[in-house]
Amino acid sequence: MSTDDTRSGRGEGGAGSRRKRFAIAQDKNLVLDYKNPQLLKNFLTDRGKIVPARISGLSARQQRQLTKAIKRARMLALLPYTSS
Amino acid sequence: MAETAAKGVVHSVASKQGTQREYESVTILRPATSKPEIQTLIERMQGMFTDFGARLIKIDSWGTRILAFPVRRERKGIYLYWRYLGGSDIVAEFERLMGLSDKVIRFYTVKIDDDVDPEARPSEVTEELLEAASDPGPDPEELARQAAEEAARRAAEEAANRRDDDYGYDDDDDDDDEES
Repeated sequence: MSTDDTRSGRGEGGAGSRRKRFAIAQDKNLVLDYKNPQLLKNFLTDRGKIVPARISGLSARQQRQLTKAIKRARMLALLPYTSS
Repeated sequence: MAETAAKGVVHSVASKQGTQREYESVTILRPATSKPEIQTLIERMQGMFTDFGARLIKIDSWGTRILAFPVRRERKGIYLYWRYLGGSDIVAEFERLMGLSDKVIRFYTVKIDDDVDPEARPSEVTEELLEAASDPGPDPEELARQAAEEAARRAAEEAANRRDDDYGYDDDDDDDDEES
């Protein structure tokens, strides 16, 4: 449709792939484990919130693994619940 | 049914007969816990494992770490990682004993696998491993302080070197100009 083509957002990232990706998220066999808090730290904001998949570029499956791993690591005081 | 006979067995219709479950637990001990105290804790848990028909297959100390937030007023903790095979009742007993110990400030257990054949999984626990696991390790704050001192010293050295280099760099520049 011609209306789609003229939309302002279309031209910026090319067809379909406008998702930003964290460099670490490129790895397909990324193991997101609660025992590796140093890796999980990359997926937390400065305030300790979990970064959305929209930003990190993780797949839905990886994002589910990530949230589970981060929440487990928080229970063990390996990661903060919040930090100012 | 005799209660002793039921120990070490997985009570689940879905599970295969004669298999056990694999669990891993992480416990956080108070930073003041000494090496013999950790050893007695491990011994007590091993006694419990044999009583319940379970088996410790791995134990690992992650050393003393700074906690992300205070837990029971402690800022640091000694992390101990346990991995074991057992029946349905093992986690409840493990956590009951951990809750009773005043050295343990937090524990968390995760089921890794259902239906593990206990014969196929040899125990990795050796005397050396137990010895290493009971070591609380160096204080992270002490290490950080040493690292900071080291870094400061290196930075000072680098700054001194850079001052020397600056002269060299100027010389190079001059050379380049002359060549071009």
